[in-house]
Amino acid sequence: MTKIKRINDDLIGALRGLLGDRVSASEAVREQHGHDESYHEGHAPDLVVFPETAEEVSEVVKLCAARDVPVIPFGTGTALEGGVAALHGGVCIDLMRMNEIVRVNTEDMDVTVQPGVTRKQLNQHLRDTGLFFPIDPGADASLGGMTATRASGTNAVRYGTMRENVLSLSVVLADGRIIRTSRRARKSAAGYDLTRLFVGSEGTLGVITEITLRLQGIPEAVTTAVCTFEGVEPAIDTVIATIQSGIPVARVEFLDAVQMQALADYSDLDYPIGPTLIFEFHGTENGIAEQVEMVKAIAGDFGAPEFHWVDKPEERSHLWQARHDSYYACLALRPGAKGQATDVCVPISRLAECIQETRKDIDESGILAPIVGHVGDGNFHVVLLIDMDDKDEIARCKAFNERLVMRALAMEGTCTGEHGVGYGKIDFLTAEHGEAVSVMRALKMALDPKNIMNPGKIIRV
Amino acid sequence: MTDTLKPENADQLFDALQWAAAEGQSFDVRGHGSKLDFGRPMQAALGLDLSGLNAITAYEPSELYMTALAATPIADIKAALRQNNQQMAFEPPDMGMLYGGEQGGGSIGGAIACNLAGPRRVQVGAARDHFLGFHAVSGRGEVFKSGGTVVKNVTGFDLSKLLAGSFGTLAVMSHVTFKVMPAAEKTRTVLVPGLSDDQAMNAMAAAMGSSNDVSGAAHLPASAAARSGVSYVSGAGVAVTALRVEGPGPSVEHRCRALTALLNEFGEIEELHSKNSADLWQEIGDAGVFMEGDAAAGDSGTDQIWRLSVPPMDGAGVVERILGETGAETGGRVFYDWGGGLVWLGLKASPDASHEVVRGAVKPTGGLATLIRADAGVRRRVPVFEPQPGALGDLAKRVKGGFDPNGVLNPGRMVEGV
Ligand SMILES: Cc1cc2nc3c(=O)[nH]c(=O)nc-3n(C[C@H](O)[C@H](O)[C@H](O)COP(=O)(O)OP(=O)(O)OC[C@H]3O[C@@H](n4cnc5c(N)ncnc54)[C@H](O)[C@@H]3O)c2cc1C
Repeated sequence: MTKIKRINDDLIGALRGLLGDRVSASEAVREQHGHDESYHEGHAPDLVVFPETAEEVSEVVKLCAARDVPVIPFGTGTALEGGVAALHGGVCIDLMRMNEIVRVNTEDMDVTVQPGVTRKQLNQHLRDTGLFFPIDPGADASLGGMTATRASGTNAVRYGTMRENVLSLSVVLADGRIIRTSRRARKSAAGYDLTRLFVGSEGTLGVITEITLRLQGIPEAVTTAVCTFEGVEPAIDTVIATIQSGIPVARVEFLDAVQMQALADYSDLDYPIGPTLIFEFHGTENGIAEQVEMVKAIAGDFGAPEFHWVDKPEERSHLWQARHDSYYACLALRPGAKGQATDVCVPISRLAECIQETRKDIDESGILAPIVGHVGDGNFHVVLLIDMDDKDEIARCKAFNERLVMRALAMEGTCTGEHGVGYGKIDFLTAEHGEAVSVMRALKMALDPKNIMNPGKIIRV
Repeated sequence: MTDTLKPENADQLFDALQWAAAEGQSFDVRGHGSKLDFGRPMQAALGLDLSGLNAITAYEPSELYMTALAATPIADIKAALRQNNQQMAFEPPDMGMLYGGEQGGGSIGGAIACNLAGPRRVQVGAARDHFLGFHAVSGRGEVFKSGGTVVKNVTGFDLSKLLAGSFGTLAVMSHVTFKVMPAAEKTRTVLVPGLSDDQAMNAMAAAMGSSNDVSGAAHLPASAAARSGVSYVSGAGVAVTALRVEGPGPSVEHRCRALTALLNEFGEIEELHSKNSADLWQEIGDAGVFMEGDAAAGDSGTDQIWRLSVPPMDGAGVVERILGETGAETGGRVFYDWGGGLVWLGLKASPDASHEVVRGAVKPTGGLATLIRADAGVRRRVPVFEPQPGALGDLAKRVKGGFDPNGVLNPGRMVEGV
């Protein structure tokens, strides 16, 4: 990679003048900010800065823009496609000191936060309001990072992803100007949907400095069920039929037998080891009872397994924490290995076929790789546990992943349902979208003509 | 009358745009032309009539999506879905009556390009939230596709969301793919009569905040209610606040009961069954019935219509302020949808559409105002869409430049000179 050598004493001096000791060139800090939680190789930035206000971010970007120095935003560094790697060097902007919850509007059910607030911190804060924020990637990620990667989680079936739940943003553009994408009224029609242009732009169009999010009312009643099946197929068929009948389940997660074993070991989860669905229903007591009956009838058609009801709140949060930790549980299956979480998403009607073929491919490739997924959206992850010292194994995993993506694309699916492109999936993006990549490039050039915003991610300029 | 090109398929569309890009031509782009008067009058050299792009190209009910050519009539799509007990959950409104055209017109591409959604917006989101992917030709003459058939993807910039609501100014879509959902088995509407606008905002907030999955929340002040074609509503003689509940039979019944219990303190509750519910929510989404004048009473109707987006609790106050400042002779016709967050306001014609008063009242709430209907001269002078000042306006121009640097597509439709 070409390193841009414009980090000089003049820039460092200007940044220090602005931020004092909130500028770091230390080896350890730089190294830590150069990688995320994936197997992708890290690249340390030249400097890391810790602004506390949008104005400081704006000044940092202006100083960098004047010198054509790359700017890489950083949240909690939990992303999985190498998005924070400083491929061309530059200044990493760590946003975690901007962690204030600015305003909660309980009547209009929205909240405005700074980008360094994490999803758990937000829900903790909302505890007494009767409201909650539903998007829950496994990691306790920053809301800025979640906006930038258009994250989702286990609740997306009912509540959508960051795409549907971000109402408005403040963004520092590539020239340092600060904009607010829309006003407080949610249903805006003032012009192009600039809010959603930044949701999922992975730091390549600007730095997100404030986010207004839609909140949800805590449901009157919640019911959770764990359901173990004889095989993968009946489990997935149950999901497909449930979604096709329009039953408004809140969560439906699939975990294969290997994954269930990993959770039993890592999180002391005590359920039968086999292909499993976790269902959760949100609503009124009566409404839920009815949904449960319908889902039980469907599951009955596919072999009627037992539903294990998870009623106690502690038991429920233990179950979901275990599900959220599934990536770490996988890593613990093979100490020393690195994880590569694949992320295809296919139309729901093709899901059974896609998972079956993938399971077969895993077995034939001789790799250890649990399957877990947000199957209600047609999205699932294969967590490839790779010994990074074994060249042959790396090659086999790479080939496996390529086959998986091509399989999903052939089924009119996508290579990434929620993890994003970073620099890990750039080539798949071209395979999937062809000409749209050049349209995205034109857009990138229009908004960031010097290509200083997280260069080398999503598209190559 | 300008000359009009009429491509019969996606290839001819591509040729037309390549030619226009090379020759420095410009187009006003229309599906069926049902919403041509929505937006600023355009200054295009030629017309581009997409009505030849008319077919459903992929529909398998179990897949829960449909792909259609952009100018496929919404009426045809609805008919195909109805046969399979499915629907477009975002309820694209029929603007025929508002724009003096025929009812039942309008294409799917037009609905998406204008990001139009009906009353269910409060529960399921806007048109763009149901829009999964497209094939299009940009103003540069490049063919591209984006998105696909899945409900979730994070492959780069969200071009679908950008095209939805771009009024044909960025690219011309040839194919659109959108979500389809099972239609509800049963629909009921809970009616609360006699509320003031303020009380209604509170009642709607209480209903929406409950766990009863309300899929429509509208308030018709007495004068609006009287215009409804649904006799229970027009016969009430007072204002009517309407809350819709949909789903499987038993669940709908118990949710209606729960809502009735919740709203009892606001007044005597009535219920509408499926057919009347369908008619009422269609009227609310299309808005025309409540905005037109009553010819029999010698009333020529309101000429200028505003659509205000405001935080739901602020709707009533904004209307009061506007009517207070424009004076009674403006003959304000008003009703509220989206729990109060969408205000339809008809005012007697004035040369500036009272835009300063309207926008002045909306602004402090953080809302925005769109001039939905006014004659061309007014729409040329008065910003139709909420003006975007400073850096935001520049950003929108850059986005336009990324897709259509030479201004081939719908020049001036959204912003003068862009
Ligand atoms: C155990 C585990 C489970 C996970 N489960 C899920 C899941 O279920 N669903 C899911 O979607 N993801 C999941 N992820 C991935 C990851 O948590 C998400 O992508 C998350 O949104 C990343 O947030 P972050 O704060 O860590 O971002 P970072 O990793 O810090 O950054 C990610 C990208 O966003 C950019 N960025 C960060 N902050 C900003 C900002 N303020 N402005 C502009 N750009 C910014 C960065 O430059 C980078 O390109 C999981 C990860 C782990 C480790």
